[in-house]
Order: sequence, then C-alpha cells, then structure tokens
Amino acid sequence: MDVSEVLAAHKQKFKSVSVEGKIIPLEFDLGLLTAYDQNPVDEAALKKNKDEYLHELSRDNAQLLFNEIFQLQTISDDNGVMAMLPNPTTLLPREKPLPKPKPETRWEKFAKAKGIVNRKKERMVYDDNSGEYKPRWGYKGINDDGSKDWIIEVPAGANPMEDQYEARREAKKERIERNDKRHQRNLEEAAVATKMDQKAVNKGDRPNMDNVRSLKRKEIENQILISKNSTASAGKFDTAIKGDLKPKGIKRQFEPNVAADLSKEKAGNMSILDRVVGKNGEDLVNVRKAIKATKARR
Amino acid sequence: MRPLTELETKTFFEKLAKYIGRNITHLIDRGDETYCFRLHRDRVYYVSESVMRKATSVGRDQLISLGICFGKFTKTGKFRMHVTCLDYIAQYAKHKVWIKPNGEMPFLYGNHVVKAHIGRVTEDTPEHQGVIIYSMTDVPLGFGVTARSTSDTRKMEPTAIVVFHQADIGEYLRQEDTLF
Repeated sequence: MDVSEVLAAHKQKFKSVSVEGKIIPLEFDLGLLTAYDQNPVDEAALKKNKDEYLHELSRDNAQLLFNEIFQLQTISDDNGVMAMLPNPTTLLPREKPLPKPKPETRWEKFAKAKGIVNRKKERMVYDDNSGEYKPRWGYKGINDDGSKDWIIEVPAGANPMEDQYEARREAKKERIERNDKRHQRNLEEAAVATKMDQKAVNKGDRPNMDNVRSLKRKEIENQILISKNSTASAGKFDTAIKGDLKPKGIKRQFEPNVAADLSKEKAGNMSILDRVVGKNGEDLVNVRKAIKATKARR
Repeated sequence: MRPLTELETKTFFEKLAKYIGRNITHLIDRGDETYCFRLHRDRVYYVSESVMRKATSVGRDQLISLGICFGKFTKTGKFRMHVTCLDYIAQYAKHKVWIKPNGEMPFLYGNHVVKAHIGRVTEDTPEHQGVIIYSMTDVPLGFGVTARSTSDTRKMEPTAIVVFHQADIGEYLRQEDTLF
C-alpha cells in the first residue's frame, strides 16, 4: 500500500520547520530557553497588519528556538524524552552592591604581614592512647590540656602541696579570658573602622584603641549634651557643674565691616543684583505695550 | 553693624526690585560718594562710607540708628520695607499711582487704595507689582502692591481695592519709635 500520498496530505496541514528570511542569525541561550532576534522589524508590514505580522514573527522565532532545542542531547525515562539544557550564558546584573570587605582582625593583619597562611587540618586525629580517631578539639577531643592525665609531675620550684590539676584548669581559664578580651577588642575596632574615614581605612590605617576611645568619648559627650538640653527649661535653669561640657555653637563669619575700600563689596552687590534682576535687566521691549499698540493700529 | 550676607542681600534686593527693578544699580553705584548697606539689629541701613566709618566707633548697644533705614528682616528671614526709604525708591520708581485729594486721607491712615480714589496710573502696570503712591501734586505718600493690572481695573467697581497698602508717610507718626 502506498501511503506517501496520505503522508504528504498530512504534512500539508503543517508549516515547514525551516524558517527563511533571517538576515542576522538568532542568538540562543538555551539554558534560559531564550532566543534573541536582532533583525530589524519590517515597519511597512507592521503598520499594515500589526497582529498578523507579530504572530508570524513570534511563530518563526519560536520554531527556530525549538529546532535548536531538538538538536540537544536527550535522555528518555518514564516521563518521556527530555533534552539536556546547557548552562545559561546570559549574564544578569547583580541585584545588590558588592559587600564591603570586612575589617581585618589584629591576627589577620599580623598573619598577612608575616606571610602566615592558614592550612586546613583534618578534624579527626588518631589518638594513640585509646586507638581511636578523636576530634582535634572540642567535645571529647584530644585537646584536654592534660586534665585527664592520671598523674602529673610537680614542676621544679613549684609548691609541692599545690594542686597541679587545679593550676592547669586555672591556666586554661585565664587563656580563655584573655582571648575573649582580644575578641572584644577586635569587635570594637571593627565597629570604629566602619565609621572611620573610608579613605584612611583603604590606605591601610587601622583603628587603634586610641581612636576607639576618642570615638566613644565623643559619643558620650554628645549624649550628655542632649540630656542636658532635655529638661523642662531646655537646660537653662539647671545648676551649673564646674568643668561641665559647654555646647559648641556654629561660629558665623561675616565680611569685615570697614574694608580698605568698598569696591569689592560693591562688585559683590552688583553680581547679586544681576542674579536677582537678570543680566540685562527687564526686557528691552515691553511686550504687553507692543501688543496693545499693534492691536490699536488695526 | 555688619555688611549683609549673600542670602540677606538677595532677599533684600528681591524686595527692592519689585519697586525699582534694575535701578538698584543707582543706589549701589553713585556718582557723588560711596554708599553701602549695613545691617544693625535686623535693620538694613543705607549709609555713606564716611558716616559708616564714623559709626564704627560707637558701641553696638549705644548705636541707635545710622543713615537711612530701608527696612528690617523679620524673624522668619523675610524683608519688610519701611516708609523711610520712600525718598529713594520714589526717585527710581517704575510704576506709579496718583490718588485724588479725597483719597489721600484714607491712605495715610493705613487703608488700601480703592478704585474711586485713583487719579492716574502708569500705563501697563501688571498685577502684584510694587507701585509708589503720589498725591495729585506729585508728593510721594507711600507705596503698595497692585491688586489687578491696569487693564483689569477698568471693569471693576469703584469700591474695589486696586492697590494694597504697604507703607505710608502716616507711619512717621503712628510708628515713630520702631521706624528708624
């Protein structure tokens, strides 16, 4: 049986999959299932029959996009045949600005200067005593500072009656405290660094404890001044305290009253006048009057 | 006593220009002597240089007045002109209104000028324009601001206000103590 006629008839019902008449080939970003058509729009056709033209154009472009998708590698499973999409190539602009670099801690700065690089170490270490792998630090870690030693030698010159276990615990506590203090200092300095002049920070100026303190002092002084003004009389009838802060006002600066010659002041006044009235003063022609005169002549 | 700042000069000139326009130049740049504007206790004085130099030897608290008082800055920073400057702005006035003898008295008591009292008006005076008010014998009586343009006044009733009162020479008596 010859079915070629039936097939041809069936094919007649559909449009061709090949699209012609594209001068500039389309650009595809298959990761986003997108096609970019940069060909100029046929204005005459668009004006003539807008809907039809747009419909045609979008069908052609969609056809080209589908042609491209059908050339991709496919996988088939229970849900059907699926194309493997590549990664998107179109770059989208970042929504938020780049984060500002965090201010360095003192250790980070020191390590940078000395060229110390942090090398990754494994979390679990082999413990010879128990024959097991144990965490390097933390809960059930190997770093117990010898508090689990069943016997400790009394160091030379130490009080033999002193509890060496207690001494080790004390020493550890102290180390933790000292580290906490440093952590606190780093936080304070970082807080100042964000407030400090960004140029100075970029140049490598680190906030030190001096300007941390001066900044705190300034803040406290401001708060004192605000609280002084917050009484019912705005601080007017408060009892004065010796050595108390005085609010600093804005100093106004005026031109000298009696200058050597007043020509400068005069020139300044003239330039202000030019700005107020306009360089040429009023219009040379009085428009209202001119209109009236011409109307009267007619 | 001090010179005006730039902002003060600007507000001052803007008010003055409503009456005399570009003619402020003639006040700043005079042929005879150097004159200047000085601020003292919020008032603006128009003083010759020699008087101003002499006045510097008077203490701030002792100095009552100097030169011609042109007006004062209000506490909101606007400028209000006093009638004392009338002689100067009348010389250079651009727009004038003459009032009939029967309208002089009401105006000098501080009332607005109604249409019935108007004798003559400068042609083509626009709306809200600063004008100098003269008697029919060309004596300056004060100044005001027009309520309507000249052409619009023709259609108005005789009792309608044509010029809003700003200052008049009656103030020399009424506001004697705060004027200078």
